Amino acid sequence: MPKFGMVIDLNRCIGCRSCAVVCKIHNSLPPGTWWQRVETVGSTEHMVPSGENPDVSETFLPVPCMHCENAPCVKACPVGATWQREDGIVLVDYERCIGCRYCMTACPYGVRQFNWQDSRASFKEGFKAAGFEEDWFKDKEYRYGYPFDHKTGDGRIVYTPKRPKGVVEKCTFCVQYVDKGLLPACVRGCSGNARTFGDLNDPDSDISKILRGRNVFKLLADLGTEPKVFYIAPTRKEGKGGINYGKEL
Amino acid sequence: MEKNYKKIMMILGAVALIGALAWGYQLYRGLIVTNMRNPFSWGLYVAMWAFFVGTAAGGLVVSSAIYLFKAKQLKPIAKVASLTAFIFSMGAMIILLPDIGRPERLYHMILHPNFSSMLPWDFIVLSAYSLVSAVYSYVLMRTDIMEKGVKLPFIGLVMKKDVSGEQLAAIREQSEKYAKCLAPVALPLAILIHTVTAWVLATQLSRPWWYGGVLAPTFIAAALATGPAIVILASMVAFGYKEKLKDTYALLAKVSAIASIIMLFIYYNDFMVRYWWRTGKEFEALKMVFTHYPLLHITEVVFILLAVYLFFKYPREKKGLIQGSLSITIGVFAHRFLLIPPAYNLIPLRVPVITHRETVEWAYPIAVGEVRGSLLNPEPVFSSFWKYTPSLAEVAITAGVVAVIGLIFMCLINVLPVKEAE
Ligand code: SF4
Ligand code: SF4
Repeated sequence: MPKFGMVIDLNRCIGCRSCAVVCKIHNSLPPGTWWQRVETVGSTEHMVPSGENPDVSETFLPVPCMHCENAPCVKACPVGATWQREDGIVLVDYERCIGCRYCMTACPYGVRQFNWQDSRASFKEGFKAAGFEEDWFKDKEYRYGYPFDHKTGDGRIVYTPKRPKGVVEKCTFCVQYVDKGLLPACVRGCSGNARTFGDLNDPDSDISKILRGRNVFKLLADLGTEPKVFYIAPTRKEGKGGINYGKEL
Repeated sequence: MEKNYKKIMMILGAVALIGALAWGYQLYRGLIVTNMRNPFSWGLYVAMWAFFVGTAAGGLVVSSAIYLFKAKQLKPIAKVASLTAFIFSMGAMIILLPDIGRPERLYHMILHPNFSSMLPWDFIVLSAYSLVSAVYSYVLMRTDIMEKGVKLPFIGLVMKKDVSGEQLAAIREQSEKYAKCLAPVALPLAILIHTVTAWVLATQLSRPWWYGGVLAPTFIAAALATGPAIVILASMVAFGYKEKLKDTYALLAKVSAIASIIMLFIYYNDFMVRYWWRTGKEFEALKMVFTHYPLLHITEVVFILLAVYLFFKYPREKKGLIQGSLSITIGVFAHRFLLIPPAYNLIPLRVPVITHRETVEWAYPIAVGEVRGSLLNPEPVFSSFWKYTPSLAEVAITAGVVAVIGLIFMCLINVLPVKEAE
C-alpha cells in the first residue's frame, strides 16, 4: 500500500498562487472557497515583505490539507464522513457529511471549507461581483473543472463538480487524478516546481529521496497531528535558485 | 389568569411561527443566511446548545436530591423541576438542528456513529437524560394523574381512573419507591450531560480557549447556578409565589448562589494560570477576551455577582428571587456566548515570525467561503479575524426554539396535574 505525501520546497516557491488557481479550476471550487492558500508569512498583504527595512523578509507559505496521519478531523467527525483511506489520503464523503462542522473546529490548519449555500448560487454571485450582468454559466449544469463524480473503491463520493449545500469539503490531494496514477493539479501547475508528490513508503520515490537526510519541517508539529505535507525551509538566497537537488532530480 | 395565559400563548406561538419560517428560509438558502463563515464556523446555535444543556441539569438534580440527600423541602416542586429537565434537554437537541447543514442526514449518527468523536456520546447522554427525566416526571405524577386525570384540549379528561383512597395510597408508595430507584441514575446522568458537552469542546487541542480540564467543572458549576434559578422561575410560573414554598425557594437560591461563586472561582483560576505565562496560545485567548470582548466578560461577571448578592440578601422575597434568577440567566448566557469568539478568532495556524528583536505569532488567514466585495470595491476573501454578530435569521430561529420550549412548558403545566403543590 502506498502512503501519499507531499513536500514543498519554500526556496522554490515564488508566491505566484498558481497552485491555488489551478486547484480551484480543476476541483471546481465555488467562488469564495479555497482549498489551497499561499500567503506571505508575517504580512497582511500577499507579496508585501514583513518586517522593517532593512530587516525584512518575504517567505511564501503554501498550505494545502496536511492529510494528517493522526488527523483531528477524522477523530472528530461524528458519522465517519471524514476518514483516512489506506493510502493516507483524508477524504470527505459528500453523501454522508451531515454538515455539523465539528471537523472545522478540530482542524488546526484552517483548510476545511463549508458549502454555506448551493454552489450554483455562489457562481451567480461571483459573476455579479466581477461585473458581469449576465450569468456566464447559462447552462445550469455547467461547472469548470474535472467533470465527473469520483468514487472511492468502496463507492463513496469524494468529488463532485456540483457541490451540494451544507457539506464540508477540502483538499483531496486531487484524489480523482491520483487514483488514475496522475499527479495532483497543484504539483503539475507549480511554476517554480516547488512541490513533489509521491509514495512515502517507497524508498525509491522522488519524495522519499528528497526527504532522506534533509532537514524538513511540518506545520504545528507540536500538536502531534503528523502532517504528511513536509516543508523545506527557505535558506538565504545567493545567486539564482539557491538549492540544488543534484543529478537524479 | 386565563386571559393572561392565552396572551402569553399567543405571543409564544407567534415567535415560534417566525422562528419556523426563518428556519424554512435557512433550509432553502443554506447557512449563508447566518453570519457564521469558515473562520468562525460555530455561533449562536452552539452557544445556545451549551446554555440549554446547563439549564436542563437543575431539574433532575433538584428532584433526585430529594431522595439522595433527603432534601424534603424540594418535594413540592419536584414535578415542575423534572419537567424543566425534560424540556431543556429536548431544547438542547432541537437547537442543534438548525446548526446542521444537512439535518435530513442525521440518521447517519445512528447508522455510522464514530465513537472517537464526542458528539455521538453527547447525543446518547442527552437522549438518555431526556428519557429519564420524562419517566421521572411520569413517576412523580402517576398518582395525581390517576386521581385527577390529564386535561387535554378538545378531548377532555383522560387517564383518570376510579380508584379508592386505599389503592391510591398504595400506588403512591410504589411510585415513591420507583422515584427512589431512579434518583441514583438521574443524578450521574445530569452530571454526565455537562461533562460530555464540555468534552465536545475541551478535547479540541486546536482551540486553546476551550482546551483543558477546567471546562467540565465550570460547566457543572454553571449548570448548578442556572438550573435552580430556572426551576424557581418555572415554579413561579406554575404555582405563583406561595408562602409555603418559601423554604424551598430559599434553598434553591442558596444552591444557585454557591454554585455561581464556585463557577467564578474555577473560571478565574484558569485565567490566573493563563495570565501568568504572558505568552502562548492560552494567554492569547485570554487576551482576546479582554481586548475584543470586554463587554461580554463584564456582563457575565456583573450579572452573576448581582444574582449572588440578591440570592444571599433576599432569599425569601418574591422580587429578589425573580430578579436574581433572571440575572443569573443573563450572566450565564453571556458566559456561554463568550465560549465561541475567542475560540475561533484565535486562528490555530500561527507561524512565528522571528526578528532579532522579538518573535511575533502571525495568524494564517482562512478563506471566508463566500463572494465578497465587487470588482471595484474588492474585499479580502481570506480573513484572520471574523467579526461575528448573529444574523437576523439566527436570532429569529433561536428565539423560535426558546418560544417552542416555553409553549411546551405552558401546555404541560396546564394539562398535567402539577399545579396543586402537595
Ligand atoms: S489538515 Fe485539517 S483537514 Fe487536513 S487532515 Fe489535518 S486536520 Fe484534517
Ligand atoms: S461537517 Fe461533515 S465531515 Fe465535518 S465532522 Fe460534520 S459530518 Fe463530519
